[in-house]
Amino acid sequence: MAFEPTIISFLCNWCSYTGADLAGTSRIPYAPNLRTIRIMCSGRIEPTFVLKAFREGADGVLMCGCHPGDCHYHEGNYKCLRRYHLLQKYLQQMGIKKERVRLEWISASEGKQFAALANEFTETIRQLGPCKIKGVMETLT
Amino acid sequence: MEEKRIGVYICWCGSNIAKMIDVGRIAKETQKFSNVVMARDYKYMCSDPGQETLISDIKKYKLNRIVVAACSPRLHEPTFRKALEQAGMNPYLFQMANIREQDSWVHIDREYATLKALSLIKAAVSRVYHHKPLEKRSVEVNPATLIIGGGISGISAALEIANAGKQVYLVEKSDALGGITARLDLSFPFLESVRQMLKPKIQQVQAHKLIDVFLNPTFEDITGYVGNFKSKIRQNGPEKELLFGNIIVATGLQAFNPEVIPEYGYGKLPDVITSLEMEEMLMRGNVITSNGKEPENIAIIHCVGSRNSKYHPYCSRTCCSTALKYANQLRSMLPDSNIYELYADMRTFGKGCEEFYSDSSRRKILFLMFDQEEGLPNISKAPQNDSSEMIINMHEKLSGEEIEIPADMVILMTAMEAQNDAKDIARLTGISLCSNDFYIEKHPKLDPVATTTDGVYIVGTCQSPKDIVESIAQAKAAAARVLASIAVVNMEVEVTTAHVNEDVCCGCQTCIMVCPYTAIHFDEEKKVSVVNEALCKGCGTCGSTCPTGAIESRHFTDIQILSQIEGLLKSEKESI
Repeated sequence: MAFEPTIISFLCNWCSYTGADLAGTSRIPYAPNLRTIRIMCSGRIEPTFVLKAFREGADGVLMCGCHPGDCHYHEGNYKCLRRYHLLQKYLQQMGIKKERVRLEWISASEGKQFAALANEFTETIRQLGPCKIKGVMETLT
Repeated sequence: MEEKRIGVYICWCGSNIAKMIDVGRIAKETQKFSNVVMARDYKYMCSDPGQETLISDIKKYKLNRIVVAACSPRLHEPTFRKALEQAGMNPYLFQMANIREQDSWVHIDREYATLKALSLIKAAVSRVYHHKPLEKRSVEVNPATLIIGGGISGISAALEIANAGKQVYLVEKSDALGGITARLDLSFPFLESVRQMLKPKIQQVQAHKLIDVFLNPTFEDITGYVGNFKSKIRQNGPEKELLFGNIIVATGLQAFNPEVIPEYGYGKLPDVITSLEMEEMLMRGNVITSNGKEPENIAIIHCVGSRNSKYHPYCSRTCCSTALKYANQLRSMLPDSNIYELYADMRTFGKGCEEFYSDSSRRKILFLMFDQEEGLPNISKAPQNDSSEMIINMHEKLSGEEIEIPADMVILMTAMEAQNDAKDIARLTGISLCSNDFYIEKHPKLDPVATTTDGVYIVGTCQSPKDIVESIAQAKAAAARVLASIAVVNMEVEVTTAHVNEDVCCGCQTCIMVCPYTAIHFDEEKKVSVVNEALCKGCGTCGSTCPTGAIESRHFTDIQILSQIEGLLKSEKESI
């Protein structure tokens, strides 16, 4: 059977989750590989959450927040961005390709863009193949 | 520890969910999850019988955690939380799985959609296991209201609220009240004077003891939250602090600039004018060309910048009836003139407007249709010695012929567009813009004047193009919402704030640095951080920054989110 990636997405309540809902109300089809967790602000995304997702078998992690300057909580998205750069470095050290985690800005009106992002990111992860970290960790422990 | 007894309810949403997701199979599978006592599927969970089933099950099966898999929590989370309360449960012991907007409506493979739904439900079950009851908090609502924008919408809302005995601060960025409505001559479809309608309203506002008007002021950031907003304002003189409980945004529209459409020659041909310039002429009472002559041939072009993928995709809604208004006024003023309406589609909706169209069509007005996709009418200067000033070349859609129309004056029915500073106001008040820069309502049908920010309402043309009648209706609707919140006195607010576990806090104060609301301070005696819950808005940034895990983001705790991640990924591997 062809490889179908499992992707965990963290969407902020005010912009990105609303944008994803808009893709739904506009009936724009996209890849079914994304599994969303709603948080209030992208600033709430702890690196631990991303690591946990890979540890439990995710092949990719997508984080979305409001566009710069539009954060409902002023600047949570900037904090997310800083952590994202650090996280990418850390993941590479653990042997996880940095392309497996992605941060993008999606506004409440960008249903179309969200659907396109879901498709494009799914394809990226499909090309990268399964993330083997879960298996490795299980062998080690 | 109490035994967790979870009930899971899977909604069909008629066929919206059921046609793409095998709800029966999901209910069966869900029943096998640990701690799930009851799993049912039902046609409409949000309906009265749906909620009654939920309530009676809670009592009958002693359920203490509930999951509803249905639409987006942005739509019906409040509905089901209320149902839990009716059953005597704490409303926070509840989690929704969004299997409609983010599943059945966006996927086309029933098997994949069903597996995804199962995984979302498993995650919700794992998460709700860790939910804790939260105590409700209420705040006193400041009875004053800030209204931004002094056009017909802002004025109408201000009078409604002030006449109910409550204070209004009305802020207008120009130096006069009235907005774009003040620039209109007559209204459609009954050709009444807009000035006669508007002027007394403005006078009432100016004379009202409970309305403070600020013209052309400087305005500081708005801080606070529903019930208790704060800002500083300055208008010739010392700065004044304003406290208010609700905000109504009524910032209106601006007219589209037709210079960007090359076919129409606006800005180059002196007798090509916009609809607002026509209003000025009509208010002055004489319609003359740049040569000072009465025009013999007048063309009115519809959809200028509207319903055109190059400019604005939407319909500006008022231009067709306004164009008919001009034709009628011109017919009376210049009985011998030739009047042409160049339209793409006639859209004269609204009470009395279709009748107005049909009456107008009997007044010697020539209607000519064009197709925006096939090419706009082209206006050029007529050759010398020609009897008219300009020539319009167009493909007339109904006859299929290329025709030439003589014109001495052309009126462009320009689109309504969002104000240039719409984004600034959005940031100031914490609301969102749609792709056309109009403000987004909380729900397009069920809550059309509220926004996702509690206590902030949007009315009039800042929300979408609309006419005076609709603007006033929205203004009065928002005023009713504001007055209702004032009448409640104490308003319930979200309690999903941050909380510091003093035993674990190491006193590093990182949380204080990242908090956007200065809601955290340092207790020098105990050497720990303390959250002021009245100021905390629950973004959770401090929680993800805290190095020791002392900060708990209520309802978005680490264990809740981590178990949700586990749920999402476990079901995948286990159930496939």
